[in-house]
Amino acid sequence: MLLQRPLAVGLGRLTSWGLRTVVRRPASQLPGRVALTVDENVISELANKLSCGAIVVCGTNGKTTTTNIVAAAAESCGAKVLCNHEGANMAAGVATALLPGSSADWAVLEADELSCRQVLPALRPRYLVLLNLFRDQLDRSGEIDHVQETIAEALKSSDDTTLVVCADDPLSWGVARRSGRDKDLAHLITFGIAEDLCLAPDRVSEARFCQDCGAELSYDYRAYAQLGAFRCPACDFKRPSLDYAATNVVVTDTGVAFDVTGKALAGPAHVESGFGGVYMVYNLLAAFVASTLAGATTRAFQRTLDTYQPANGRLQHFTIGGREVVLNLAKNPVGMNQNISMLLHDERKKHVLFIINDAPNDGRDISWIWDVDFERLAKEAQGDNLDVATSGTRANDVQVRLKYAGVAPFAPIVADVDEALERLGEAADDLPLYVLCNYSALRPAKDALAKLEEGGR
Amino acid sequence: MRTVVICHLYPELLNLYGDSGNILCLRRRLSWRHIGCEVVEVHTQDRASFADADLVFIGGGSDREQRIVCEFLLSEKEELKAYVEDGGVLAAVCGGYQLLGESYLMGDERVEGLGLIDFYTDRGDPRIIGNIVVQSSVADTPIVGYENHGGRTHLGSGVKSLGKVLYGGGNDGQSGEEGCLYKNVLATYVHGPLLPKNPQVADWLLSRALEHRYGDGELEPLDDTAELDANRVMYERLMRE
Repeated sequence: MLLQRPLAVGLGRLTSWGLRTVVRRPASQLPGRVALTVDENVISELANKLSCGAIVVCGTNGKTTTTNIVAAAAESCGAKVLCNHEGANMAAGVATALLPGSSADWAVLEADELSCRQVLPALRPRYLVLLNLFRDQLDRSGEIDHVQETIAEALKSSDDTTLVVCADDPLSWGVARRSGRDKDLAHLITFGIAEDLCLAPDRVSEARFCQDCGAELSYDYRAYAQLGAFRCPACDFKRPSLDYAATNVVVTDTGVAFDVTGKALAGPAHVESGFGGVYMVYNLLAAFVASTLAGATTRAFQRTLDTYQPANGRLQHFTIGGREVVLNLAKNPVGMNQNISMLLHDERKKHVLFIINDAPNDGRDISWIWDVDFERLAKEAQGDNLDVATSGTRANDVQVRLKYAGVAPFAPIVADVDEALERLGEAADDLPLYVLCNYSALRPAKDALAKLEEGGR
Repeated sequence: MRTVVICHLYPELLNLYGDSGNILCLRRRLSWRHIGCEVVEVHTQDRASFADADLVFIGGGSDREQRIVCEFLLSEKEELKAYVEDGGVLAAVCGGYQLLGESYLMGDERVEGLGLIDFYTDRGDPRIIGNIVVQSSVADTPIVGYENHGGRTHLGSGVKSLGKVLYGGGNDGQSGEEGCLYKNVLATYVHGPLLPKNPQVADWLLSRALEHRYGDGELEPLDDTAELDANRVMYERLMRE
């Protein structure tokens, strides 16, 4: 045992070095996998070198963006931070992120919902940030109930961990209740939006019913999906009071702005960013809370947002042959619906390419595309304001979906982003192209776009 | 004008696998043919009226939701039975399929089903999860979709299956049979959802419903290129595996 741990860490680092230097491959998983194979407790061993502790970010949508912003904000205040920037969020990815160096102040790590089972008891983080829970990859994760149970059990196995939870989400709040954190106020911090945003409602397919008694929830107001000021008409299940509340929220097509108030803050903090979408308000609010807990000042946080350039395909912008190309991840109904809101927000005429794969890490079950409100694009498409193409291993399924949504009777299918851009080149317009992909499609699309952008310089 | 009244049972509870796509598919295929369509959503506080329905649809839900639904439906068991015996059209997917039998398992507890058709469901390990292809008499092209079920459904001796499994697990992962066909009831584990990529199954249901109501089940053919392409791409890919 005594020899095993240094050996595990050493071999992991060697793998990392080999991958990066010798074969020039990204090393976000394998080194950790090697280390975990040699010593299954390597994560808890590595956690000892953190002088302040770990912050784990979990939830269906928004993990990577939130994690990266928190890490950057903490770093900007001088902290040494370890982070799985690339979004490798299973136990192996977490172990890989923890390998470098002999000491650090914080580890800011995103963890896959089901990986919490391994990561939390080993890492025993100071904070677990729970952003939201949506239906995602039923074939892999199972029903949401199972995901909630897994996170709640993980929390019970790490009783010093404070849960930082989106109180507007009945499902995330359900985890707080199942883990007993709702009654353990020393280990609970809540955040949410404290006003009606008066946005056009989208579909609520999840959590329409009380987590306790099964009655249909009612809302004082709702931000998107099932997130809002919910309460059960039949029992005492309701959104709890907010420790950190966003008010004066402004959502436009060019970004979001809001104020954060909270007992722990000296006064209201103003936050603004060039990333649009109401979901971004929640991501930034969560990031603000976590950054504050990690010691970052409001100013440092805002400075981080001002300079933050996503490089991981999340709302990443490219310019290719004078054309603006926006790449974003859309891997489940709620994520895709938020992207559709973004498309509708942008009043320009535009092209949209959907790339949907069914690799194991996407979920092999494609039925989720029928839970997306593609119908909202029908008017734009019929008004000639938007045209669509599809790609990916499930391009045909998306084509059928768009036909039934009334968006396009026979959307063209292209091999990849290169072909999509070639086609548009023939049309010789300079309209923006949005590329919306699910998980396994994102990286190849990002690499292809980066190459095209580079080549055009 | 002919009109089809679709009765969608408990959409807020049984909506796990894109089942709204099945309803959308039926709706569109009627409107493209200028046939009227009315969708009546039955919610838990409502009492379903099967007498006015031409096509009843039951989707799949999580265990918890399936149980709530079964309790509601048990109180309307006789009405639903009369509807089915009279030749009413019923489509059931996944959890909705299991409800139609004599019993199914919830955890380790045996739950009474609606008993409309002679079959029962117990459980096996592991869950049957993956793509599925079924050759069925209701469609010329194979039925393609996805299945995700812990239940193993065992058909009574005289009960016909929907078809033979060409790829995937099917009813019990062993018999090579998938789903069941009984009078005008079509029940299956196939989702993905079932109808948009299997347009002949959709039309089978619609034709039966029109036949039952008007004595005229004829349907104008539609251009199903996109649907059949999607079907064929998956069929060929899976058969190569």
